[in-house]
Amino acid sequence: MNKQEEQAILMGQIKDNERIIFKICNSYCSNKNDREDLAQEIIYHLLKSYHSFSDRYRFSTWMYRVALNVAISFYRKNKSKKALIYDEIKSDHKDEVSHSAELEDNLTILGKYIGQLKEFDKALMILYLESKSYKEISEILGITETNVATKISRVKEVLKQKFSNLKN
Amino acid sequence: MDDIQLNNILESYNQKMEQVQGLNMQCFETLQKNKTQAKLKSLINFKLFAVGLGVLWLSFLSYLFYFSLEKASIFFIISCGAVILFSLLAIVVYLHHINLISKINNSESVIAAQERITKLKLSTLNITRILFLQTPFYCTFWWTTNMIVDSPFSFWFISFPVALFFTFASLWLYRNISIKNVNKKWFRILFNSPEWNSLERANSFLEEIQVFKKGI
Repeated sequence: MNKQEEQAILMGQIKDNERIIFKICNSYCSNKNDREDLAQEIIYHLLKSYHSFSDRYRFSTWMYRVALNVAISFYRKNKSKKALIYDEIKSDHKDEVSHSAELEDNLTILGKYIGQLKEFDKALMILYLESKSYKEISEILGITETNVATKISRVKEVLKQKFSNLKN
Repeated sequence: MDDIQLNNILESYNQKMEQVQGLNMQCFETLQKNKTQAKLKSLINFKLFAVGLGVLWLSFLSYLFYFSLEKASIFFIISCGAVILFSLLAIVVYLHHINLISKINNSESVIAAQERITKLKLSTLNITRILFLQTPFYCTFWWTTNMIVDSPFSFWFISFPVALFFTFASLWLYRNISIKNVNKKWFRILFNSPEWNSLERANSFLEEIQVFKKGI
């Protein structure tokens, strides 16, 4: 297989998993142009790092690793480009999904909470929201499964507290 | 609030985020001409430009050194030789640094890769430490034996103490310019520039990485 064919196959696999890129770009950038820049950078690094892909991990695990690494480096270079928060999504996409007022409030709180998280906690939240197993999260982030479980249960407690405060 | 309610909220959020793509994925097709590549290219060009300048400086010094071997004073020869050695060492370290940056593997786990990138960034301090070691030789290259014999007072009370001061200062800086002192006041005064501020940020990021790894 020549390099062009290999690249075409990889592009196909990336396209099949493009929602990973969407999510990460949306979580780390607020501005549309920045999101596109980041998406391009992620794709470039995916192509560049393809030789390092091994069957030991799933394709999506490898893709998450590369995409999160690129996004975190990009975010650190452009700190002023604040992460996307739910209010901004809501105003951009009013007509897409309608929720009850209470749920909307909760989603706004959740969006703000995720927007304020530090780089690694944000990555952890993205993976948790994707319903990734603790094992896969630990493989992507490079921390122990116990550490993943502890952090997630801490995040859940904070969120429960925030939502309960809203109700009261 | 129970776990089921919380999970419902998280799921709704996830669904909402899935619907918001907001990205023009034509970048898949236009990737070959994208600005990322241009950006990376310009970064490499800048580093190569810096190496080029270093090599030019080294060539100039080597020329001076070679053609002054027979005529110049021993002080000039030793000083010039020392500056050549330190500059050469700095260029070698810089090239090694560029090589390591080009080999960064983004498919490592997030924590491992970010730790490596941050440590590499902080390692630029080594080049600065080495370059500081050459400062005393800029105070000695113009010394001559005649100067010591003809004007002993100005030599022993001005030139020599100045060189001695720079020797101690450069050795002290060599020992103390390190990651652990990035937050010290003298460090901030000495290196108050955006590039050095980014080192400070890199250092605190490294601390964040350690905390995240330990699960504190």
